[in-house]
Order: sequence, then C-alpha cells, then structure tokens
Amino acid sequence: MTASAHYAPPTTPLLSVRAIEKSFPGVRALSGVSFDAARGEVHALLGENGAGKSTLIKIVSGVFPPDRGEVLVGGKAVDLARPDDARRAGIATIYQELLLFPELTVAENIFMGHAPRAGLRRIDWRAMREKTNALLASLEIHDLEAERVVGTLSVGNRQRVEILRALSQDARILIMDEPTAALTEYDVTRLFDIVRKLKARGVAVIYISHRLDEIFAIADRVTVLRDGAHVATKRVADTDAAELVQLMVGRRIESLFPKITVPIGKPVLEVKDLERRPLTRSISLTVRAGEIVGLAGLVGSGRSELAQTIFGVTPADGGEIRIAGQKVDIRSPAQARSLGLAYVPEDRGTQGLVRPMTVRENFSLAALGKVAFGGFIDRGAERKLAGDGVKRFAVKASSLEQTAGKLSGGNQQKIVLGKWLANGPKLLILDEPTRGIDVGAKAEIHRLMGELAAQGLAILMISSELPEVLGMSDRILVMREGRIVAEFSHEEATQESIGAAMMGSHENAEKAA
Amino acid sequence: MSEIPLPHSAKRVVPWWLLRHETMLAVILLIALIVLGGLNNRFLTLDNLLNQGRLTTEVGLIALPMTFIIITGGIDLSVGSIVGLCAILLGYSWKNFGFPLPLAICFSLLVGAAAGFLNGIVITRVKVPPLIMTIATLALYRGLAEGISQARSVRGYPEWFYFIGQENLFGVPAQLWLLLIAIVVSAIVLDRTTFGRTLYAIGNNETAARFSGLPVDRAKLIIYTLSGFMAGLSACVLVSRVTTTRSDMGIGYELDVIAAVVLGGTSIFGGVGTIWGTVVGLAMIQLLKNGLALTGVKGDATIVVIGTVLILSTLVASSLQRRREGI
Repeated sequence: MTASAHYAPPTTPLLSVRAIEKSFPGVRALSGVSFDAARGEVHALLGENGAGKSTLIKIVSGVFPPDRGEVLVGGKAVDLARPDDARRAGIATIYQELLLFPELTVAENIFMGHAPRAGLRRIDWRAMREKTNALLASLEIHDLEAERVVGTLSVGNRQRVEILRALSQDARILIMDEPTAALTEYDVTRLFDIVRKLKARGVAVIYISHRLDEIFAIADRVTVLRDGAHVATKRVADTDAAELVQLMVGRRIESLFPKITVPIGKPVLEVKDLERRPLTRSISLTVRAGEIVGLAGLVGSGRSELAQTIFGVTPADGGEIRIAGQKVDIRSPAQARSLGLAYVPEDRGTQGLVRPMTVRENFSLAALGKVAFGGFIDRGAERKLAGDGVKRFAVKASSLEQTAGKLSGGNQQKIVLGKWLANGPKLLILDEPTRGIDVGAKAEIHRLMGELAAQGLAILMISSELPEVLGMSDRILVMREGRIVAEFSHEEATQESIGAAMMGSHENAEKAA
Repeated sequence: MSEIPLPHSAKRVVPWWLLRHETMLAVILLIALIVLGGLNNRFLTLDNLLNQGRLTTEVGLIALPMTFIIITGGIDLSVGSIVGLCAILLGYSWKNFGFPLPLAICFSLLVGAAAGFLNGIVITRVKVPPLIMTIATLALYRGLAEGISQARSVRGYPEWFYFIGQENLFGVPAQLWLLLIAIVVSAIVLDRTTFGRTLYAIGNNETAARFSGLPVDRAKLIIYTLSGFMAGLSACVLVSRVTTTRSDMGIGYELDVIAAVVLGGTSIFGGVGTIWGTVVGLAMIQLLKNGLALTGVKGDATIVVIGTVLILSTLVASSLQRRREGI
C-alpha cells in the first residue's frame, strides 16, 4: 500500500474511543474497547460475528449510549445521545442496508433534511443541483446525474449517494459497515478509489469488513475485537493474514465438549449437487448414523438456507437427497418430518417456539400425531409426553401450563429440541443450538447431543462458535457464499484453518491444510 | 351450552385473563338483560328470547368459522356477499334452471364453498393478505349476485322449505337447532382436535407452525372454504325465513359477524379466542338490538349503542391485558 507513505500518527487523533463498556440484558457486548483514528487514516475493525463491531459503531454513531467510557472528536469529549449528535460532531455512518429514499432523486437524497433554502424557506432547487454536481465532480463520479431517481441506480451507485450525503454534511469521520458485502468487483475498485480520495482530504474512515484482502488493500491500521474485548491494534504493514486470523479466533478451547467416540454407521442423509440459488449452490454432503457433522461459516454463507432446503421449507430446485439410501423429494416440513428429519431452527423466538402457547402445547406441536387419535387430542397422552420431556431435558418450568415464552432461553431451547426428539427422528439438524443461552444449559445440550449420537442419531450442526464446532464434530464442513469450500476431520481441524476457510483467504487456507 | 368445555378452552394460552374477559362479558350481558327486562315486560319472555335466537342464526352460523379465521390472524370480509350470491343462486337455479329445490339448495351450498375456496387458494398460494383478497371478493361476489338477479326477486317457494326458517322443532325455532349443533361441533373441533391446535399455532406464530411441520396452508384453505360454505347455509336459512330472494341479502353481515367474534374476546391479531366467547358476543349484540328496540329506542340509536359497547369492551379487554403483562 502506497497510501501509508503519507500516513504518520499525529499527536491528537481525530476520533478517539476510550474504554467503552456496554452490556445488554444477559450479554456483555463490549468490555473496555479503545481505538483511535487520525485525519486521513483508514482504520479497519476486524472480528468474528458477535465480536462487538456493530455495537461499537452504533455507540460511535449515537444509536445508543455506552455504559462506560467516552468518545472524543478532535480531542474533545462529545456526548452522543442521539444519531443527530453524531452528525453534528461530524460522524457519518454508512450501514450495510442503505438508508435511502428510492422514489426521490440523487440530489433530494443527498440533501434530505438540510436542503439549501431560498427566501420564505423554500427549497432552492438550483443551488441543490449545483451543489450535487460539485460533490459529484469532487469525487470524479461521472456516471451519476443529480436528477436520477435513486431506485433506478445500481447498489454501487446508491452507496456512492450515501457517501455524498455524508460529505454534504461535512462529515470528517466516515464509518463504513461491510461496504463491499453486496458489491460487484468493479464497484469495489471504485469504492476504494473514493476511499483513497477521502483519505487525501483528511477524512478518517472506520472500515468494517470480514474480508482480509480488502483490509490489506485499503487500511492503514487494523483493530481486532474478540468477544467484546480489544485484542490488538496493528499497522497493516506490520502484520499478515495468518496473524490476523489467529488474533480473531484465537480462543482457548474449553474441554467442555463431551464428544463421545461412537461407532459410525450407515449414511442417513446423502445430499448430491443440491441447488437453490442464490445461497445453496451444488452442495454435496453425507451424514452417517452416530456422526456429528459441524457446518461452519460466516453469517450469510448459506448454512441456514441449506438446512431449510433439506428440510423442505424452501424446497430444492435441483439435485438429489437420499434418506437412509432412499431417494426423496422433500417439498414441505411436514413431509421432512414424516421421513424422520428434525430441524431445530436458528431463531428460537420466531421459528422454533410458539411463545404464547404453553409448555405442554409446544412439546406436542411437532408430534401431535403421536398423542391424537382420529384427529382428537388425547389430553392425558399429551400431558404425559410433555411431562416426560420436561423430566428428560430438566426444563425448569413452574408447570406444564406455563407460557413457554416466559422461560429462559436455555429452557426454551430444550423445549424446541424436545419437541423434535418426541418424534424419534433419524436425522437432527441443529441450527445454532446454543446461541444466546447460559453456560449451564449449553453444557446440557452438548451432553445431550453426545448421547443422541451414541444412540445412532445422525446430527448436522450449524454453529458460528468455532470452539463448539471443533469440540463437538466428528467432521467439519465449511461454507462460503453458498458452497462447501473445505472439509476437515476432527483431528486435522484447527481454529486457524477453519477461520481461514470461512474468510476465504486462500493462501492461508493452503498453509493450514 | 353445557356441551361447551369452558374450563379447558379458557385455560388455553392465557388462562385466567381469558376467563376474566368472558366472565366479564357474561356479567355485562346479564346486567343488560335485567335492565332491559325491567324497562319492558315483553323482553324477558321465553317467546321473545327464542325468537331472537331465530334472528341471530344467520349471523351466528357465519361467526363460527369466522372465529377460526380470526384465530389464525386472518379475516373474511366477503361473507355478506357470499350470502347474497348463494341466496340468488338458490332462487335462480330453482326458478330459471328448473332445479328441484333440494338440488338448488345443494348447488347454492356448493357455490358458497367454492367462493370460500377461491379466497383460500389465493390467500395461501399467491400470499395475498386476507384483508385485500376478501375486500376484492366482497365486491366481486356482490356484483355477481346483482348481475345474475337483474334486480328481480324470486318468491313462491314450496311450503316445506319454510320449515327451517319459520317453524319450531320441540318448541325451539328449527334453525336454532342447526346453530346449536354447529356451535357444539365448532367448539369441540377448536378445543379438542389437532386441527384446532393448528389454528391457534398459526395465529400465534405461523413460521414456527410451518417449521413444526403443521399443515398451515391446508388448514387455512379449509377454514376459508368452510366460511364460504356456512355463508351459503346462512343464505338458505335466511331465504326460508323471509320467503323471498333478493340480491341485497346479507349486506353488512361481515360487520355483525366480526363484531360478535371480537366482542367475544377473539384477538384480531390471532392466537386467542374461543367459540364460547363468540356465542356470548352474538347473544349480546342480538339482545341489545332487540331490547333497545322494544324500549322504543330508534334504529340509528341502537347502532350507536352497539358501537359504544364494542369500544368499551375492547378498552376493558386491553386494559386487563396490560395489567396482566405489567405483572
């Protein structure tokens, strides 16, 4: 990077974030995070999903206040109680989902809320157009007109409009949250050109990305976050991809995971060339009886989509699924269930549990056929089914008639798991089985997974927690952009090798393999 | 109504609150009965009450499947127009096609079911919101009824046909038996069967119901079809009672029906509600109308009173719910 040639750490950074702490109910999102950015510096924030990047930028852009710590702009502490305060302080944020008005023109979007005025507070349309053209010229953008309606623009051009809007408000600090996530390669190059121009003007850019190659292409320094804590700040010139991956995922693996080695049986699920675009692309995998297969990948890599395609929520467009050797065409969850599949979905509150219904009703929801005769529910049998489930999974509920939504996350997850096991499935798909639940319930679910595998159940586990994937899986598949890009055995897998495969830093994946 | 398993249905979802809502409604009903009975000595007579049952049957038959639909979080605004269409087709097919009357009755029931099925199929397959779809068919079915009838009414049905609408069976209006049977069956289906459980699950969390392998689309298709069928049945009862067929029959029924269901404690957001509540809601609206009319209150004022009762009951229900959630 030649850009670092004129980069020198100044005495007073433009933006300085000091010892930020933030907790949400039950979660410590940030614990004492500090970083700073100088005029004309591109400072990258790097970390896994859930590392605290989003929380940090939301604090800096005034979406919510920190519990402790302060934000300084130009050496002076600023109170960022509302997004408007951040705007006044010269901080602008470009989120992943662009916040534009698709029916309005480029100029109207740029000057929304601060349009130039003529007499009687009328909007001065001519001044607005001229200012827009000046902004476009200053960034050497020639394929955008002030009068174009934003809804007709490409994603890359819409993003440029957002950047222009930030500049029109004299932003000195620009935060970009995964700006390249939805861009084509050409748009990425153009974005980088613009970022370099902003740098030259003295704007500080906070750049958030998963993609290591981009960080090496554009950033001056990088700060790595892990589990809400500040791990390291490095000059990009002084580090390499391997070190960054190590810093990002380098947790100790707690020996909490009681994966029992059990004899692996016949294939239960065989998937061949499964297609459902855009996020399920030519997927082939096998899960055998007694085997736990871990599916790793970043959020958005297509893991949940794959699970839902197998389970019939979004039926496949092509390819082949075999259950216990039998070719099947799964069109609905009901059909998947009758074939012996079970799916514990990612989002417990909206996909797994019917929160306003009782513990009893939730336990029997996927197994109504087991407690009903001729369509009539046998309440005695239903109570017994739910009672057995509560006992087996040690669900802490005051009674079977308690509203399920009032239980803790761990207990809710046990109910969702229990309702599926009541059917006696052959294959269990677990999507983030321990997300957002406490350590005790987590250990219980892991213990249960081990037991179930020992009884011959085939388990496909999606997890974003690498220690969980490493600790529980017999085999690990890694997905990226809708494809399976790597496979590791339990023995050969390491956090670094999986992390590299997830990120797609190829040279690093080769090194690890 | 002893057939209706009150304690169990009340236990569902929000045990004591729902019980309270329905109890509260029953208490208001009782007070209204006593007050209106005191104002007019013709009100609290067996004859009058049975006659009110006769008059409420047509709305009541439709309110039962409407309870199912609203429990799933849906709505069916086309029921009044289906009543009109079915009534017209009953008369038209008998008079103009020369269908024997029993066949004409079956035909109009079939058309009712088909009209409901069309609602259901578009709602489940094309994912058009029920409100939009049934507003469209509200206009469409009424338009068909008017087009077919050409503003001509049909009368002069054979004597036996008036039995269901005008005669008594064991001292009770004939159509009231029909309503009672429908109430009991609906209550049992909603409270005791996997189908009823599916409806509650859809209303509380459609995605989770789908992910649990429940037949969400099939259940919706069934209830919209049933709604159309019951509107057809209601049309037959109505024609039998008033002895004539006109294309404006059933106008505004959807509002009476929905008012009764919502007054009975069924949440318009889905997931909560009982047949028992709907029955109390029906009784409340019909007896208020009748009692006020007997005490000399004019028609316009009656509507104002009913609107006020609906608002008050909603206010009380939501304040009860807020208190419950505040705990």
